[in-house]
Amino acid sequence: MKQKLFILSATIAASPLLYSFCGFYVSKADATLKNKTSQVILVRDGNRNVITMFNDFKGDTKDFAMVVPVPVTLQKSDVKVIDQSLFQRLNDYSAPRLVEYYDENPCEPNNRRYKALSGKVSGVMVDEAVVTKSELKKDYHVKVEAQYIVGEYDIIILSAKESNGLKNWLTDNGYKIPKGAEEVLDPYIKSNLKFFVVKVNEQEKKKLPGNFLRPIQISFNSPKFMLPIRLGMANADGDQDLVVYAFTRKGRIECTNYRNVNIPTGNKVPLFVQKNFGNFYDNLFTHQWQRENQDVSFLEYAWDVSPQNFYHCDPCIATAPSEYDLVQSGVWWLQKDWSDYSDVNDDNEDDNLSRNVHFTRLHFRYNRNHFAQDLMFQVTPNTETFQARYVITHPATGNFTCDAGKKYIQELKSRRRGELAELTSLTGKGIDNWQDAASASNDEEDQPEAQYATLLQQANAEDEESNRSVAGIVLLGVTMLGSVGLMRWKGMI
Amino acid sequence: MRIKTAGWDARYFQMTFQLIFLSYGFLWLHWNTELISGLIFITSGFVFQYIADVLFIKKNALAIRNKNNWQSVLVSCLSLCLLLKTNGWFICVLASAITIFSKYIFRIRGKHIFNPSALGIAATVYLTGNAWISPAQWGSSIVLLFAITCLGCIVVTKVQKLDVTLAFTGTYAALLFARQVLYQGWPLDFFMQSVTTGSLLLFSFFMISDPKTTPDHPAVRIIWAMAVALISFYLTAFKFVNGAPIWVLVCSQPFVPLLDLLFKAKRFEWKTPSVEKKFSIINSTIKPSNNYH
Repeated sequence: MKQKLFILSATIAASPLLYSFCGFYVSKADATLKNKTSQVILVRDGNRNVITMFNDFKGDTKDFAMVVPVPVTLQKSDVKVIDQSLFQRLNDYSAPRLVEYYDENPCEPNNRRYKALSGKVSGVMVDEAVVTKSELKKDYHVKVEAQYIVGEYDIIILSAKESNGLKNWLTDNGYKIPKGAEEVLDPYIKSNLKFFVVKVNEQEKKKLPGNFLRPIQISFNSPKFMLPIRLGMANADGDQDLVVYAFTRKGRIECTNYRNVNIPTGNKVPLFVQKNFGNFYDNLFTHQWQRENQDVSFLEYAWDVSPQNFYHCDPCIATAPSEYDLVQSGVWWLQKDWSDYSDVNDDNEDDNLSRNVHFTRLHFRYNRNHFAQDLMFQVTPNTETFQARYVITHPATGNFTCDAGKKYIQELKSRRRGELAELTSLTGKGIDNWQDAASASNDEEDQPEAQYATLLQQANAEDEESNRSVAGIVLLGVTMLGSVGLMRWKGMI
Repeated sequence: MRIKTAGWDARYFQMTFQLIFLSYGFLWLHWNTELISGLIFITSGFVFQYIADVLFIKKNALAIRNKNNWQSVLVSCLSLCLLLKTNGWFICVLASAITIFSKYIFRIRGKHIFNPSALGIAATVYLTGNAWISPAQWGSSIVLLFAITCLGCIVVTKVQKLDVTLAFTGTYAALLFARQVLYQGWPLDFFMQSVTTGSLLLFSFFMISDPKTTPDHPAVRIIWAMAVALISFYLTAFKFVNGAPIWVLVCSQPFVPLLDLLFKAKRFEWKTPSVEKKFSIINSTIKPSNNYH
């Protein structure tokens, strides 16, 4: 079947993201604060870490507070706030994508159609950090290592000797600790972690337009490359989503204590998926997550986004992060003093190599039962590109009276049956679930016998997954029998 | 003289387990790219073995060519398939080359110094910067099942000695348990996840237990395994080194000949039919061994 040129489809957010932090909220009022989805930017090279946490806190900012365990005491210069639109740009750029192909009518000359995409870049504000004071709280065995204001936030770095002291300090200072958080405080204290405690400074907040909180970025040196998620489980019901955008100089990052799985990609799906791609991907993610035993790290995107690399995706669904975006994300090795011309005559190649940036997008869905440990990562030299990409193919239009046209209709029918089976296999939803969507797309169709609604009635829901498992068991059995046979033949048993 | 093990070659058992582990990866975990690199590891492994046979054995007047070398090659290459991830086919070939040739190049008193696959993995990761180990690629739950089955099989069939495996795993797990559960207060499932990684399982059952590269003296062997566990624990818990046991094993193996010299004991030989026929007694620690495993 001939397929002529593809057109990029519009970007659709993978799933409704309720942005929040990987730490836990400690409410100052009795409001029940839940965090369901977090977005985090990780930048890592050598022992240097930059972590940016994005928050979509909805409610009275007076009630907002957050605690994040950190390996070292952060100074005021290690903390800053950045513009929240950066997260939107990274999400748009790396989100799972739908690609459109157009069939060519074998009976008519082809006609080409394109759709263009546009991206927008907005400014970034960085606020100055102000140190206020540091004090010692002996009674609680809690030490205030540092205290300062950054942007609209009051920040305190605490270290503690034991969890009761820390708990009492937080309670006495007006923080309400969620149930279940206490038991994980002790292991963190014993791991020599400090506590990064954040609340909103109302005076500073009033100076800013809008009623939102900006992402906080922290930088520190530590051999630990991890994200503390255990505290975040304290005040969340059930499953929480976490999207990690990671930037490194060498290659992809991967999880070292949970299995890394690539989300299915390149699958051909029915045309009607276009109408509700967000829902499709949500179903797909949930199904894959359940299939993989709920304890994995899903790779959704991996690409070399170095400023010198102009080929950032295929297809691009949004503007690739600019050098400025990358620097704002914390990619410090791109920062350059533009007034310094001393390196103009240097060998450019070395400079380019040191300016490599690899982007990895990981998606976690965690809960206490399946995620006993915090997320540990490593930077690998893996530079292979990856994107979650799904393909829809528009049928050719016109009349198909010629022989090639009749053949095309047959091929179209068989391809569409395949697409329907693929949809079921990816999302775990039976073919009946898609009946409405398939019928709704009928008005676009020229050929009644190749319509999805028609094909649905004929299609046999093939459970590909169970077939694969059966094949697996058979193969494993053959391997074991073969080995035993070999041993028997060698006279060993 | 030969250290008494079961009536048959432990390498068949290792091969079987490695193949099952590998097929689990291919069939259930959908490792698609690993299939190609796996084929490259194994094919190039056998090619290098042939080259090594031609290059090294003919020069050695005492040597008797061992026809049953293929088990060792396959076991080493399967270890590479299971543990090493690379950026390209040439890195796979390099890893196979280091693995196979290390047995011929790094030799003291007739014994090769390094565990071939451990050296192959460590050297490739360190030297090329284009290879890495994914410790969590099997997930946690299945590893426990494999570990128990594997242990059970060894106990029942007595196919290979368990002293090194148990000394290493016991010490390593005990230290982790003491730190994570007793000291830090993490729940038990936190600890279980730390000890049920696929790379640790493969390491303790099929790598450190290699009787050709462990000290000959039984007591020294156990202390040595415990020392490897202790250093690995320190590097993992306090220095956050990934794949610490493999690095420690490779660094500790040059000391094994020294330990053998200080604590003399009978040397292990694989029990293979061809070796039995050609020379059955290798008792001297001074005379070079002819057996190139």
